[in-house]
Amino acid sequence: MSKDWNNNAPIYRQLKDRIVAMLLDGLLKPGDPLPSVRQIAADFQLNPITVSRAYQELADATLVEKRRGIGMYVTDGAREKLIVSERERFLQEEWPQMVERIRRLGMNTTELLSAANIGGAQ
Amino acid sequence: MSAVISAKGLTKRFGKTTAVDNISFDIPAGRIVGLIGPNGSGKTTALKAILGLTPFEGTLSVLGLDPRTQRDELMQQVCFIADVAILPRWLSVGNAVDFVTGVHPKFDRAKAERYLASTKLKPSLKVKEMSKGMVVQLHLALVMAIDAKLLVLDEPTLGLDILYRKQFYQHLLEEYFDENKTIVVTTHQVEEIEHILSDLMFIRDGKIVLSSTMDDVGIRFVEVMVSVEKAEAARALKPIDERQVFGKSVMLFDGVPRETLAALGEARTPGIADIFVATMKGTYA
Repeated sequence: MSKDWNNNAPIYRQLKDRIVAMLLDGLLKPGDPLPSVRQIAADFQLNPITVSRAYQELADATLVEKRRGIGMYVTDGAREKLIVSERERFLQEEWPQMVERIRRLGMNTTELLSAANIGGAQ
Repeated sequence: MSAVISAKGLTKRFGKTTAVDNISFDIPAGRIVGLIGPNGSGKTTALKAILGLTPFEGTLSVLGLDPRTQRDELMQQVCFIADVAILPRWLSVGNAVDFVTGVHPKFDRAKAERYLASTKLKPSLKVKEMSKGMVVQLHLALVMAIDAKLLVLDEPTLGLDILYRKQFYQHLLEEYFDENKTIVVTTHQVEEIEHILSDLMFIRDGKIVLSSTMDDVGIRFVEVMVSVEKAEAARALKPIDERQVFGKSVMLFDGVPRETLAALGEARTPGIADIFVATMKGTYA
């Protein structure tokens, strides 16, 4: 993970997004422990409150759970839950912008599909 | 628990010069506070007052104690790393550990030795043989092994290379800091610590010109890149700073709602360094 942050969103949200990406990519699997708040704070040079807030949001979305006294663990089915919510978000937020741009550039589906195939997508 | 540090009307004069001018603030426990200001703005003087190293006017309570009259009790619970972190040149690492074991009731010798074992600081190494970074490492080893409630850092990483600077804050967060402890730090390297801080204080000419949590800083300050045709409308909202980039104006606003500004151009949260430069304009003029 790169340690650079951008100025467009609060750091806790960027940290949360990175963990979400790791869950989607299968780098974090159900039952895997998250590093301690202290460890993340030290490694990324963040205030521990920032890290706790990111963890809390993941817990609120039931993607991770707190096991008393030992820390945070990825829940069963976290990836499936994420895929549902991320697909929804893609369709609501990202796709309309892409469609708008495709229209503006006057591109058709044949062109786009062949470009996607060259790019390695199935 | 009440504030760890509570200052009311804190003032320090040197002859005709007022170094700290009637400042008031409260710092609760579990915070990491950055005290940021230009050279000569009164940072070090304020810290010295907090540590009982200088007389002052006004009221100041540190961990419920008066630094002027209860300094001995205070020093059991407070640690300090100064920008002029001087240790006697003949002192060895082993001597330093023995000394602090002898004088400080809260010193955890095993913890200090554990930490030192992870560095190149062998017990026989003398201060005169150490690099600047190693001297700070030794200080940190001694300080982190004391279970102090308050840690005051005055330019702790001044003159250190980037590796030592990173390692310094990393160890501090890993080995020392928790929600019952409080850190007050001054530094000119604001970019390096901005995500570590929970609170920010700007000091200028002995006065506090900004005192805010980092969360509020993110809400209050917005930077917008405004195109020429919208520049007048944007200026009417009184930006605290304006600079030109690629023919557009980059304006910094304090306290204007983000939604209002988003209509004028791309809005983003500025870094502490940007806010600092805008706030301190004309300091040396």
